[in-house]
Amino acid sequence: MNLREAVIAVSIALMIALLAYTIGAGGLGPIAPSRLRDLAVSYLINTYNPWNITKSALSLEAVTAIVWDYRGLDTFFETSVLFVSIVGVALVFRGYREKLGLGGKGLSEIVKTSTKVLTPLILIAGISIAIHGHLTPGGGFQGGSFIAVLLVLMSVVFSLDFVIGSGLTSSKLLMLRSIGLVGVLSTSVALVVLGIALGTHAYIFQNLAREGSPLSMPTWLLDRPTGGTLIFFNLFEALAVAAGLSLAFLVLSLRESEVEEALGESEWYE
Amino acid sequence: MEVVPISIAAIAALLSVVATYLAVRSRDMLAAVVFSAVQSTAYALIYYVLMAPDIVLVYIPVSVGILPAVAVLLIKKTERYES
Repeated sequence: MNLREAVIAVSIALMIALLAYTIGAGGLGPIAPSRLRDLAVSYLINTYNPWNITKSALSLEAVTAIVWDYRGLDTFFETSVLFVSIVGVALVFRGYREKLGLGGKGLSEIVKTSTKVLTPLILIAGISIAIHGHLTPGGGFQGGSFIAVLLVLMSVVFSLDFVIGSGLTSSKLLMLRSIGLVGVLSTSVALVVLGIALGTHAYIFQNLAREGSPLSMPTWLLDRPTGGTLIFFNLFEALAVAAGLSLAFLVLSLRESEVEEALGESEWYE
Repeated sequence: MEVVPISIAAIAALLSVVATYLAVRSRDMLAAVVFSAVQSTAYALIYYVLMAPDIVLVYIPVSVGILPAVAVLLIKKTERYES
């Protein structure tokens, strides 16, 4: 260890100690404020408030209510960033076709067997996180990225040939992603269309009845609250994110001979 | 705040600094990816202690599952060792 590394180590340690001291002494504000701000109080009161439905989202989880109801339009544009980048990936590699039989046997039999046990568990955990987004921590993006890990795991353990051979091709994933995106869009304009049909007033991204627009999404499934639009948003978002991230991984993992074929087939190589 | 959660966060923060340093210094890109996954795990622990379970649920699959996978793909198509 030379002098340079020692100086770097000491300065990093000093910086951490000073930052910890500053935060511990309350230099960046109190660590956990005992008093909630008015905005937080109003969200906590209104998130699940069946007595005043015009301000409520009827969701037991405040984060999902803010993300997809109170600030739904923000979240839509936020996730569009991901979807547009996936469109970019699909566009750049548009001559791309998967090929079978390019080698790769996967890992050993022990790993394969344990992954076979694990695979449905990951899928169920992802779906559960997505559709319980309005009840417990989680939501569409979280559940979708859980499910997207599945394809990564399967392509490492069972080889890419197995994944493509089992039917998860990039065109199918693109179709699933599009279904998810169309679902998000149609959920966001569902009440507007209904309002036009019934001749009343309604907003885009409207969840429950608001002042001046009495329409509202169905909020109960049997004896469970569904949060109106929230369960649909979470479900379709999970589908779109899972298929989109899997598609990006599948397209980025393209092999040498597939690239040659893609370049030979399309016109932009000239 | 309780003593136990904040000391867990402190230990995780120290671990993440060490892992980040090793990831930056490592000549082997594959090892750097593993170190960065360790750093992400420590960060996920900090998020959990700071009462942000929503972030934890998205941070673990993205930073431990998908990001290393894409980085490994990138290393496979380029070079493993930094010269």
